[in-house]
Amino acid sequence: MSLPRVNYDPRRVCVNPFPEITLGRHRRTVGVYLAGALFALANWTFLDAAILSAHAKAPYGAPPDAEPPVHVTFVDWIPGICSLLGYLVINLIDKDRIKGDEGFGDARAVWRARLFLFIGFAFMAGGLAGSVTVLVLKYVLNGYPEQFKYYGYANVSQSVALMLSAVVLWIAETTSSEYEYNLTL
Amino acid sequence: MAAGLKTVILLSFVLAVGFLLIILSCALWQNWLPLLVALTFVLAPVPNALFSHCGSDDISSSYESSAPVDLGRFITATFVVTGFALPIVLAHSNIIDSRACAMSIAGGGLVYTTIMAYSAAFSQEESEYD
Repeated sequence: MSLPRVNYDPRRVCVNPFPEITLGRHRRTVGVYLAGALFALANWTFLDAAILSAHAKAPYGAPPDAEPPVHVTFVDWIPGICSLLGYLVINLIDKDRIKGDEGFGDARAVWRARLFLFIGFAFMAGGLAGSVTVLVLKYVLNGYPEQFKYYGYANVSQSVALMLSAVVLWIAETTSSEYEYNLTL
Repeated sequence: MAAGLKTVILLSFVLAVGFLLIILSCALWQNWLPLLVALTFVLAPVPNALFSHCGSDDISSSYESSAPVDLGRFITATFVVTGFALPIVLAHSNIIDSRACAMSIAGGGLVYTTIMAYSAAFSQEESEYD
């Protein structure tokens, strides 16, 4: 059992190395594609609930011409709109301004960039909290059947997927800059 | 040359089959909403193609992709997921039949695969003559 170790690194701890996902310089590309896919998935999850609500029938036991007890209204749209605003704000910030030690010189610009970043994350977190609030207050506490609680679950998963998309996009952009930094050093 | 000709004929055949599936999924149930899937998948490579010419500098072409290229990739991924999600959403709320959903997804996937394969098969030749 003396297999030749192909890439032996003396710093490593385990005999079997951890599966290391190194996509190399395609990492940024994959990350951006993944973020776009998550973004679309988030919005389609919520739109699915909205379209389903617009074409909703009564629950299964009820008489066929009864109105469904609850619809997706504008209240359900508000958390998604907040998350989208936060998403826009986060991605419109120049990532180099956040670090602040790159010699841009203007300390107030760094301060403002961090303020806007905070506002963006606050919008996204507010969207997530708002969607959970809508789920609990509008759907769970009123005891609607599972068919209608799906609207609330879709709302929450929209916010979660939007946050995941923002995180993936952020990671994809910053790893690329670190790679470039290593090159220039 | 002959291989290229065969590739073109095969790809055009697959493209025709894809459009046939989409149009059948609309026409068999007299509901023309799945035609949006064809539009989405045809539009999907357009942002990538448009923005890919924006960021190619001489210095940073190989390692770093600029913001417009990233934006194009983001929009392309959004379009592709939209193309798959739209029939599922429509079928989920009983607007279109579930078989129409499956047919339009298969047709849209064929159309998009054809476009991707075409651009992948003939991109090297273009870059040789550049």
